[in-house]
Amino acid sequence: MRRAVVLASVALLVFGLVVIAETNIPETPGAHVGGTVTVGVSQTFIDMDPRVMNSVYDGYIVDSVFDDLVSLDQETLAPIPCVAKAWEVAEDGSETTFYLNEGIKFHNGEDLTAEDVAYTFNWIIDPANGSPNATEYEWMQEAVVIDDYTVKIINKPEWTPYCPGIVSESASIVPMDTCEEMGPEQFNLTPVGSGPYKFVEWLASDHITLERNEDYWLVYPNLDKIIFRPIPNLATMMLELEAGGVDVVDMMPAQDVARFQADPNVVVQQVPSLTYFHVSFNHSHLPSSDIRFRKACILSVDADAAIFSIFQGLTGIRAYGVTPAALWANDREYLQSVALEEDDAEAVRLFNELKAEGIIPEGFETTIYCPLDPRRTQLATIVATNLQENGINAQVQPLDWGPLLDLLYRSEADPLGEDVEIFVMGWSGGPDPDNFIYYLYTTENAVIGTANNYSWYSNPEVDRLVKEAATVPGCDQTTREALYVEAQRIAFVEDLADMMGYHYIETQGVLARVHDYTLNALGDIEFCSPQCNVWVDE
Amino acid sequence: MFGYMVRRVLQMAVVLFGLTLLLFVLLKTMPGDPARIMAGLGATPESIEVLRHRLGLYDPLYVQYWRLISGLVNGQLQAMTYHKPVWTVIMERLPATVELGVAAVILALFVSIPAGLLSAIYRNSPLDYVVTTAALMGISIPVFWFALMLMMVFGVILHVLPVSGRGETLFGWSFLTVDGLRHLIIPSVALSSVLMALNARLTRASMLEVMRQEYIDTARAKGLRERVVLIKHAFRNALAPVVTNIGLQVGAIFAGAVLTETTTAWPGIGRLIYDSILRRDQSVVFGLALFMGACYMISYLVVDLLYAYIDPRITYD
Repeated sequence: MRRAVVLASVALLVFGLVVIAETNIPETPGAHVGGTVTVGVSQTFIDMDPRVMNSVYDGYIVDSVFDDLVSLDQETLAPIPCVAKAWEVAEDGSETTFYLNEGIKFHNGEDLTAEDVAYTFNWIIDPANGSPNATEYEWMQEAVVIDDYTVKIINKPEWTPYCPGIVSESASIVPMDTCEEMGPEQFNLTPVGSGPYKFVEWLASDHITLERNEDYWLVYPNLDKIIFRPIPNLATMMLELEAGGVDVVDMMPAQDVARFQADPNVVVQQVPSLTYFHVSFNHSHLPSSDIRFRKACILSVDADAAIFSIFQGLTGIRAYGVTPAALWANDREYLQSVALEEDDAEAVRLFNELKAEGIIPEGFETTIYCPLDPRRTQLATIVATNLQENGINAQVQPLDWGPLLDLLYRSEADPLGEDVEIFVMGWSGGPDPDNFIYYLYTTENAVIGTANNYSWYSNPEVDRLVKEAATVPGCDQTTREALYVEAQRIAFVEDLADMMGYHYIETQGVLARVHDYTLNALGDIEFCSPQCNVWVDE
Repeated sequence: MFGYMVRRVLQMAVVLFGLTLLLFVLLKTMPGDPARIMAGLGATPESIEVLRHRLGLYDPLYVQYWRLISGLVNGQLQAMTYHKPVWTVIMERLPATVELGVAAVILALFVSIPAGLLSAIYRNSPLDYVVTTAALMGISIPVFWFALMLMMVFGVILHVLPVSGRGETLFGWSFLTVDGLRHLIIPSVALSSVLMALNARLTRASMLEVMRQEYIDTARAKGLRERVVLIKHAFRNALAPVVTNIGLQVGAIFAGAVLTETTTAWPGIGRLIYDSILRRDQSVVFGLALFMGACYMISYLVVDLLYAYIDPRITYD
């Protein structure tokens, strides 16, 4: 049986106004109800509790087991109704009132009410619970229950308004009573949500099985079962896809893309992701704090060739600013037009000038640090080779996360990060430019011990512009975009904050028997949501 | 014999205690704050701090050590990231590793010992060349590559076996179901390839050594049939180094075949080692290292006891 379910209303994020519109999950003619989809996942699962989950892989399960307060449009990444059928932002942006759909039930039969929504958010932001997702809600003061199906989220005064809003995955709603009863450990092992598929079993390192939630409020989910299988070896995962052992793979290496594109049984889906990987500098001490050193490094490398050699033009594109190409305010065209291109003669001249001034000391050697990630190691190696050709003795040191974060986060004993000049890191964020530029380039985020701004880049004007863009009265996107564009131009064109970067292109392989499956820029794996209801051939 | 066993078990306890101290020092001197890594990029200072307290990282070292030891002994030591006690985490994976290991060892023994034996008997014959070449290949080819080739041939091209994973289980065991048995074939063949190669070469070398001994000539001079000379006099005496090698291999396999399990997505102890190191789960790493140490020690003890059975001249009392 397939039911068309009407979402009551769509609200646009306009201050003081709720605009009502109707939307349906589009009926797919010929959709088959039943069958199982097996998903190959490149990592093992850690947390099933959306309140503490901070891995994209755990998100695959959470997407199907839980409902989000608001969902995101697959194409525009704008918030659309899900548990909340509408919302209203106060005139001054200090609070947002969410009106919830009635009749949503958790898998244990309990009703999903405003209490559950408020509990979810208040639990995450409570420092005593130590949720790693608290950072995403830095702007939130508290969530307050108005009545059974109305909840109000109040911003902190200094974050009023907060324009990026609720777009995080961890806004998946958990059942208050069940969570309290089970405790965090047990809830993590046997999650109970209100989503289209129910949690069945988690066999350690082998698979997680979900089954259809027969009483799902939004639509009748097409699939009987979904099985998620962690397959850590990518070559094995590709063989599984080829043999039909899995229907979807969450990652496809560049060298396999062309092969599967030619395979009629497999559909390769690609979308630019919300990620930014970059070769960056330590802005706290010489020589990398000298803009001439940074410029000479940039001029030493043919960034296009470097990125192409790693991704073969298939699974990664060059970045010109921090905002991913898939997001607004990326200013890509302008930043590309003014990007510095390789000029070895000028680079050598600048390096010699710095050596003559003693800014690059006699016998200077530098190490380019990067995580144990083949792509970033390869990029670091290319950069080191190019620097060596221009007279800078550079080595590459891939490090495990522990020692790498120790170096980049610094300590009281080493506040300037003396051992680091150049490093390769990466960031993935939500569907708002603020999620990138605020964390990576504002002074506020350069804090010893927990730095997100691990280059310690600092420019008061960039700080001001970014703060202003996040708190624009009325959250007008055009105004915000102008501010982010200006901030990026200062950081990347005037200050040459980074040497180079790339955005990863999410690449998944899907068997042709799977229908209505769409990859989005967040890399989510969704089988039933306000925008899709995946089905498979009989 | 009993007295010897008691002494060995007591020795094992002392070694395990030393191992706990060594492991603890290593874990504590390893670079990187586990709380910071677990909290992930972007975590607030407050959440990292809460995590440090929750993990007990501010407790005095002797308290942390005691918590690990007492928790392991009473089974209550909680894994840092698996939401379960460490022993539960290990025991959940153990059946997968045990059945993979047993299948690989049995397969290896059935193939390698007769192969090594025949290779020695028909030395410098075409059969000998085939066995020694195959053994050399088995030693030289990396197990992960061999596993991938098996998957490609039997899983993708011929479609006769599943590519990876463990398949259906019954009471936690794969070999009790047809689907599980089919899943077991590729990982066990891949894992056994190295064991086979080593054992075949060792059996051959050991047999050749024994067959040069004077007592073999004596046995033949007594008019014994060649089969009796080879099996009863030569093979039994050639077994000691082979048994030692198998014992070491068994210890290593039960301690986790990391490469095989990772390549074939086999959810055993090897995968657990790989995952828990990546997750910085110090409790599980600690428990696993002790478990692996115990596996080795037990297998060594069994090998020592087997010596007495194989060679009656060896006694322990």
